[in-house]
Amino acid sequence: MKIKLFIALFLPAVLAACQYEISPWQTDAYCPGVSVEENLARLRALEAEVGDVNFYQVAIVSDPQQYPGSFEDAIDRINQLDNVHLTLLVGDLAQTGIKAEFEWVCKVMAKSKAPIFPVIGNHDGLSFGEEIWLDIFGPLDYSFTYQNTKFIAYNDNKYEFENVPDRGWLAEEAAVATGETRVHTIGFSHIAPWKDDTGFSEFLQDSGFDLMIHGHEHNFDFWHLFDVDLDHYIAPETRYQEFGLLSVYPDSLVLQNCDPECAPASPRARSL
Amino acid sequence: MFRDSIALIVLLGVVFIANGAQANQAYWDVQSGSLMGLAHGSLGYSFNDAHDVSIGIGYVPDLDNHREMTLYSVRYQYQGDTVFNVIPSVAWQPFRFGFGVLIAGHDDLFVELPDQYPDGYYTPTAVRLVFNYQSVFKLTDTTEAYFDISILDVGLLTYVREPEFFQDNYEFFGLEGITNWGFGVRHQF
Repeated sequence: MKIKLFIALFLPAVLAACQYEISPWQTDAYCPGVSVEENLARLRALEAEVGDVNFYQVAIVSDPQQYPGSFEDAIDRINQLDNVHLTLLVGDLAQTGIKAEFEWVCKVMAKSKAPIFPVIGNHDGLSFGEEIWLDIFGPLDYSFTYQNTKFIAYNDNKYEFENVPDRGWLAEEAAVATGETRVHTIGFSHIAPWKDDTGFSEFLQDSGFDLMIHGHEHNFDFWHLFDVDLDHYIAPETRYQEFGLLSVYPDSLVLQNCDPECAPASPRARSL
Repeated sequence: MFRDSIALIVLLGVVFIANGAQANQAYWDVQSGSLMGLAHGSLGYSFNDAHDVSIGIGYVPDLDNHREMTLYSVRYQYQGDTVFNVIPSVAWQPFRFGFGVLIAGHDDLFVELPDQYPDGYYTPTAVRLVFNYQSVFKLTDTTEAYFDISILDVGLLTYVREPEFFQDNYEFFGLEGITNWGFGVRHQF
């Protein structure tokens, strides 16, 4: 009877920790400190602190959906890498686009020592995920410059959104402005060029991109098309604490696969 | 079409349960929160003094943090026989557990995969499983009030897979990260 009484008292006590939620489809996800704007401010502060550098690293994580604990382990590992100045999270933070899933991942993002920049994935666009995304992170397409390298995030989830990717915007963002010093131009989106999107990789190359980074496939991959000299790097899901690591030098970009020990990655030539 | 079928099932269920009211084991239930809507009305039937089945309709108006939508539910609950008499006129039944299917009616959510997607691309976004616990206070022989704690399907699945994440980041053994509360009242016919 005492055990029953204890359990009877414990279960309702959980009420103290619960949230009053009207339905699974609420859109007010609580994600403090992880917006693109806030991370850009952190990046600016970092750049002011370190000045001009000839080497830094970019961590690449993807598809944490449904495994926030493993994502946290991956971020913990990345936090131990002294040369990582920023992290790219290339989509699918949620599985079904609901508030709870975003909040779990936001908890982990807030623990990243380096500024972390997400791009929307196809699963993030389900339910009212777009509305949640716009509220907690900001625009679906955005860009920023760090150490004279321009990073361009774009939405290319064609089943969930219309008229994506925005090629005109991509070309504008990739173009080097008069008087601008540009070392590299790096694009990142959730999905690598679709099979039926012939010519898109060539379009990106012609627009001036030097490297493209994606997720979605849940496995490492690194390739360029036979007749296009633009590399596409695919980061795996974080379920097994795997991530990519990009080393940025003034005249080169070097990629490693970390599973979680890091080893060099080389692109293969393929057809689409 | 599927939502029309749900509405028909709910209507048939209302007729069935209303007929069952003559056995004095049918009840109506009104709940708020715990993922069931701002208000959720159900008709249910108890059998063997322990098992409840109910069907219901809920509603959420257009809010800053929520689109307007209708919610449909089919639920089963098990009522434990443990009773504590907290005060002479009120009995406390702290063990009531159940699960149900919650279906949302909104154009941006789907039960059947839209044509734009390849077959099997996604599971239905309008359909969720909800597991719940209730702490019930019997106010009279026929009326009871309760607090409800619910866990969504993905919350339970993710907690089972990675309990350490929730325990490290949320209170109450991590349950804060996956639970929601509501309240309601139930009255037997």
